[in-house]
Amino acid sequence: MLIEIAHFLSILSTGLFFICFIFSFFLNSKDIFIINLVSRIYSHSFFIFLSSFFVYVWLAISDNFSVLYIAQHSNINLPVFYKISSIWSAHEGSMFLWIIFLTTWGAVYNLFTSNDQLLKARTLGVISITSVGFLLFLLLTSNPFETILPVPPENGADINPVLQDPLLAIHPPMLYMGYVGFVIAFGQAIAFLFEGKPEIKWEKQVRSWSLASWSFLTLGIALGSWWAYYELGWGGYWFWDPVENVALMPWLTATAFVHSLSASSKSSILRIWTLLLSILVFSLSLFGAFIVRSGIIDSVHSFANDPERGLYLLAFIGLLVMVSLLLFSFRFNLLLSNKKIASLSKESFISLNNIFFGTLIFSTMLGVLYPLIYEFIYNQKISVGAPFYNAIFVPITLIACIFLYFSIDSKWQQSLNIKSLFQPLLISLTFSATIVILAFFQFSITNLWTLASLLIGSIIIMRYMIVIYFYFVYRKFTNIFSVIAHCGLGLLIISIALNDNLSSERALNIKINETEIYKDHQITLKNLRMVPGPNFDSVKADFLIENPNGKTFTLTPEKRKYFARGQVTTETAIHASFLKDIYLTIGDQLDDGSWIVNIQFNIFIRWIWFSAMMMVVAGLLLAHSLSRSRP
Amino acid sequence: MTIFIRFIIISTALMFFTFFYLYINDDKYYPGADFTTSNMPDFEIKDLYSKRVFSVKDLDGSYLINVWASWCITCRIEHSFLAKLESNNIPIIGLNYKDEKDDAINWITKFGDPYKYIIHDYKGELALDLGVTGAPETFLLNDGKIIVHYRGEVNDMIWNDVFKPIIMKENIFNAN
Repeated sequence: MLIEIAHFLSILSTGLFFICFIFSFFLNSKDIFIINLVSRIYSHSFFIFLSSFFVYVWLAISDNFSVLYIAQHSNINLPVFYKISSIWSAHEGSMFLWIIFLTTWGAVYNLFTSNDQLLKARTLGVISITSVGFLLFLLLTSNPFETILPVPPENGADINPVLQDPLLAIHPPMLYMGYVGFVIAFGQAIAFLFEGKPEIKWEKQVRSWSLASWSFLTLGIALGSWWAYYELGWGGYWFWDPVENVALMPWLTATAFVHSLSASSKSSILRIWTLLLSILVFSLSLFGAFIVRSGIIDSVHSFANDPERGLYLLAFIGLLVMVSLLLFSFRFNLLLSNKKIASLSKESFISLNNIFFGTLIFSTMLGVLYPLIYEFIYNQKISVGAPFYNAIFVPITLIACIFLYFSIDSKWQQSLNIKSLFQPLLISLTFSATIVILAFFQFSITNLWTLASLLIGSIIIMRYMIVIYFYFVYRKFTNIFSVIAHCGLGLLIISIALNDNLSSERALNIKINETEIYKDHQITLKNLRMVPGPNFDSVKADFLIENPNGKTFTLTPEKRKYFARGQVTTETAIHASFLKDIYLTIGDQLDDGSWIVNIQFNIFIRWIWFSAMMMVVAGLLLAHSLSRSRP
Repeated sequence: MTIFIRFIIISTALMFFTFFYLYINDDKYYPGADFTTSNMPDFEIKDLYSKRVFSVKDLDGSYLINVWASWCITCRIEHSFLAKLESNNIPIIGLNYKDEKDDAINWITKFGDPYKYIIHDYKGELALDLGVTGAPETFLLNDGKIIVHYRGEVNDMIWNDVFKPIIMKENIFNAN
């Protein structure tokens, strides 16, 4: 009964969302009555849909295995937390969650936006039609409410053990929040284009929404990278997996978008760029959904799939994107302005930034598409891997950062005062050159790219330190959140470069009570024990590690065997310290009784996520402060 | 100028979507099974540790052949399921596909070895003859003949839906 209720509520809300769309675009929506009506229908429809989801969560918690999806992905022995997260461990449920977030953004927007009612109603209309498209996709091609009747199985099939991890339970929700959050910027852009009145300042209103979504997207990607690091047992944090790239493209576009947005919300410059980017961000988010859910690309992230789903998504996304691009291409000339961008002004740097990001987005798209096109024409599989992306990303990011450095002092609509650059340049260059020289002689880092990254990363951080000094001592106006985010970027560049250059690993054969030495660390295998877990058995190996300073600590990597699926997974043990991680995994036992152990020293790896967190926090705080200062 | 930009935007987007339309309408890009019986192609390839050379004569029995590579992330996910198959005494032969030897050995030492032996198909010759399009893929051999070719990750669900029925029917691996 509950299942049918939840199913019915979802269908009902689909209808209501559709009515909302019709009212907002096809009725005389200048009428204040209709505008209010749209807002109300939207809220009601959202609450109906949300209750459907809550009922579904309850079904999962209460082990209702008459629901096919729950029977396939959950299990009685799972802790409640994973029973809930099993909902988004596969295609149907995660699509459900995706739409929940999509409509939630709309509902929050509906609640907190009070100015420009017409624009708001139209934006809600765009959000509604997008939701309808995805809801129909959910209900028609991947129904999570499908049942096994009359006799449900006694127990479910469990979620994939690799996915039974607290971090992985929150990685997809955060990522989805980021992806779909751009629906507000997209909706407003479409509403703006539909209205075709250049005097409407839609950019200002979407800044905080977009920054918040950008922060969620960054957080989602960072969490995924962290999970891959400790769960997959490779010790890497980014694999240039096609689906990672599909998440990277919206992120790059979104980054360009929020920068462009800050320019066009202050003056009416770069408005065409901003408009196009807002459409692109959301289109690329949808494209990501298409790639992952159509099964075109084999990846950890792809779901079991069938071509029908791919076709539906392609048709819907294609329609949405084509309509928006048509609207854009017939209306963008309204925004053409005769205003010239002053050279070396902040706007000029932001347009340069757009070009750099455009190049990166294009290259990533090429890396994703090229194997597909090649396969289509020559019928052979090829893969585009890390070397391609590194060759493009490293130089372009570094060059872009040099421009970032000079843009720090630039002002809106004014040329940069060249003379004022020298003093800070001297200070920051001395500082970063010292670091590079230190790295070269003290730590014998000779790789040119690493040294260049060190130089550029530290020069940016130092330059911002000077900005902070002026902010506190002379009360010089500064956007402190932007400072934090960009310091995060500097730190990110330094950490990636050092991690790449200094990390090392080795595989050892070791018996119980034997000691091996790797890089002045003594590694002793003390003990092996069998430990039962909640839904698995595991073998734990206790290692005693003594570092060169004589400090000792234990690390306990393990191998797990899960009951329900019989799968074997390796759990890494990591000793994290300020500068480096010691990372242990155990492999197989050899015939002579010794165990294969892999040890890695991952230098600076924590700092990569820390710098991403700096960006996330800065983005959220800026979004918050903008939303408060809004009239 | 405006018309030119309009044309560029619309035509790029159209080409983009048309390509994907053509692409997803072609079955061969999808994970899926192929049940036509065919002979194992001839080959002579060294094993991963360069200890001996394998040829088609060594496959005169019933096996699973699993195509994998250290660069393939899905293989990493699939790997734990292969360990389960191995513990059920199902003989699996690894076909290491377009992979550096050191990377492959490293991978096996790290994550365990569910394979009876591993053929190191560095150039992808055997894989080409087998019609492999990527990794992971899995073949089921009965008396030296290929009876199932599965593209994509094999897991519990796929095993039960695709492989189990035919294994029962042909009574391979002392089916139980």
